[in-house]
Amino acid sequence: MSVHALHKTEATQKAAPHLEVVPNLVRELGGITHLLTCGSVDDGKSTLIGRLLWDASDLYEDQRENVRRSGRKAAGTDLPDFSMLLDGLVAEREQGITIDIAWKYFDTDTRRFVIIDSPGHEQYTRNMASGASHADVAIVLVDARSGVKKQTKRHTAILDLVGVKHVVLAVNKMDLVGWSEDVFRKIEADFRTLCWKFNFWDATAIPLSAVFGDNVSAGSGNMPWYTGPTLIQHLEKTPSRTSEAGSVFRFPVQTVLRDGQDFRGLAGTVTSGSVKVGDIVVDALSNASGKVIRIATMNGDLPSASAGQAVALQLDVDIDVSRGAVLSAPEMRPVPAQTIEARFVWLSEDAFSPTAGYLLRTSTDLIPISNIEIKALLDLETMASRPARSCSANDIAIAKISLGRAASIDVFTETPETGTLLLVDSVTGATMAGGIATSVNAKAEQPAEGHFVLKRDMLANGLNRDLSMSSSDREEFMRRANEVAIILRSAGVSVAIEPPPPVDDGMDPGL
Amino acid sequence: MTASPSHLDLLESESIHIFREAAAQFRKPVLMYSIGKDSTVLLHLARKAFFPQAVPFPLLHVDTTWKFRDMIAFRDRTARELGLNLIVHTNEEGIKRGINPIDHAPSIHTDVLKTQALKQALDKYGFDAAFGGARRDEEASRAKERVFSFRASGHRWDPRKQRPEMWHLLNGRLGTGETVRVFPMSNWTEKDVWRYILREKLEVVPLYYAAERPTIVRNGQILMQDDQRLQPRDGEKVEMRKIRFRTLGDYPLTAAVESDADTIESVVAETINAQTSERQGRLIDHDQAGAMEKKKQEGYF
Repeated sequence: MSVHALHKTEATQKAAPHLEVVPNLVRELGGITHLLTCGSVDDGKSTLIGRLLWDASDLYEDQRENVRRSGRKAAGTDLPDFSMLLDGLVAEREQGITIDIAWKYFDTDTRRFVIIDSPGHEQYTRNMASGASHADVAIVLVDARSGVKKQTKRHTAILDLVGVKHVVLAVNKMDLVGWSEDVFRKIEADFRTLCWKFNFWDATAIPLSAVFGDNVSAGSGNMPWYTGPTLIQHLEKTPSRTSEAGSVFRFPVQTVLRDGQDFRGLAGTVTSGSVKVGDIVVDALSNASGKVIRIATMNGDLPSASAGQAVALQLDVDIDVSRGAVLSAPEMRPVPAQTIEARFVWLSEDAFSPTAGYLLRTSTDLIPISNIEIKALLDLETMASRPARSCSANDIAIAKISLGRAASIDVFTETPETGTLLLVDSVTGATMAGGIATSVNAKAEQPAEGHFVLKRDMLANGLNRDLSMSSSDREEFMRRANEVAIILRSAGVSVAIEPPPPVDDGMDPGL
Repeated sequence: MTASPSHLDLLESESIHIFREAAAQFRKPVLMYSIGKDSTVLLHLARKAFFPQAVPFPLLHVDTTWKFRDMIAFRDRTARELGLNLIVHTNEEGIKRGINPIDHAPSIHTDVLKTQALKQALDKYGFDAAFGGARRDEEASRAKERVFSFRASGHRWDPRKQRPEMWHLLNGRLGTGETVRVFPMSNWTEKDVWRYILREKLEVVPLYYAAERPTIVRNGQILMQDDQRLQPRDGEKVEMRKIRFRTLGDYPLTAAVESDADTIESVVAETINAQTSERQGRLIDHDQAGAMEKKKQEGYF
């Protein structure tokens, strides 16, 4: 890549733009790398991202000019404040703290980089997990003066939980420790020890200075002892999740496309593995199978399709398969799960409620939950779990779920794309938690003995007979039901409220 | 298909996936069609997502009556040639009140003829989901936008109520009174849009190509005199200039750039080597600090 050093930019600022040679116009980069940055508030994260953007060749001149003209300087230096490039929402500029995930894009000569900026504040762990779920590689930032901290451990654990396989430890502010190799090696060793516990394929530590640019995109004259790659060199070599998707074929059906009498296509994106014309595919739930006779796209039919490609599959027989089904090869099918165990990051401000009525969203299915039980909470610093019955925002919960009907779900560590889950509040639609399936079981679980279920019919005919089906009345229905449950529980009765039936709103035929 | 898909292939697949998720989960979606290059790509992606089936939802154009004439001609021809169901909506109330972008502040004009008009149209037809071509690279406040962007009753966008999105899971279950904006091109950049137009050989409004056009320079910005409603003020005069547009909107609010780029290739070359980001040419954004942020909270796309 062509490094856009500060002095060079200023010198060429007024020069007329030169035009690229025409044959390079449709420059299709070799892929997309989603890059998450995480660190504590003062680790210099915004400065590092700003520096990456500044040094990337394709930042617009007016964006550079804004930074220069502002006169804002990086703390204690005469250099521009690169963190300005990350300024987002108005409220946030005033607060000076990131409250959400911001997406930034830049290109090197070979790759598109998508920077996912996630908040460093401990309260926003859920935001980090949400950001990390999109990342191919994560930069964990630490201040060279303080090294690996509790927060670093938390972040690393979250990265592992949501399936990030490549991690870079950016040891920042090396200028403030006199560019000391000893300091760096100590931090590097701590990081190695930390990463032993996790399933990363690659964990690398790089000493750098985001403010001065050492080892960001250019090497460092201040640290001749470091012979490894710069941050950018390292990132450019990191493969994306899609390119590393497993070989097991999965195709969650999104919708059925029709064209007259002759075409019924199962539309979806291949999430892992590949499929070719002539392959037999099966829906594990109905056991229906067929042979792929056409892989249709508007650009013409394809002989095969692999992970990441959005296509429509036409089969030789008209099997009754629709949204929510996951097509696979007959010998490598997902489990038609009735009960699952999962780990969830609790995202909502509203705490877990055993009677709230949750739905489970998988890749394209939305499944009623007949029972959900929190078993334990995971301590991200020690990775130890302790028994618990409930959870709230920022908790990592281990839960056991009985599904209202079977659904195709994979174990996340084996087939990640079809092992991811969301817990959805059936009334508000809110996303309560995001999680991964850790075990799936085709057998239905019997409700625990002595478990009293408050039937909705019973409630509707008695206590709630004055209520209509309007949404405010439905809320009141739940409020009263919850009150009854609380009273019974305090009297020692183990009780659950029957989950609400799916709202008939014409949405999601997968339900 | 090569063994490793290019970044444009990946972006295209992602957009198709989003279109299909939304079409399957929402009852009555609509595609917000604003005629510009982003809408052109958005429409093309929608056609790909449902091929060989026809696009299963209508297009909605919110017409302020101040669009360039070339845009309206392009809109009507596109709808006709592709056999699309096009709905055009104008805030007649606002027109009657005489709101216009020349005499009124851009923020007032935009609020009445765009924001209010859009809400009217969405309410009138009962759309629960609206596809838009917005991209996260456009502007700082959009950098945080979700793919499924939820709006409470009254179309209000509350940054604190947005749903977290994890992996490729898109939760489209609506709460009472909620609607959603869907942004299939969230992860595209301006350069990608042009590269894709070139790659897919898409036709765009001729205003993107340089030509001699009647212009007025106002506040340092080059405006095009698209019809007689825009008249030179004292000290201004109408002059022919070779100009083109990087974004298209209401003509009195859209600044041109002087350019010789009159082919798709030269436009793409100019964009890729551009020194300024496209929103510099959009006057409404400079109106007030955090302008886009405010407009979004009020329901502007």
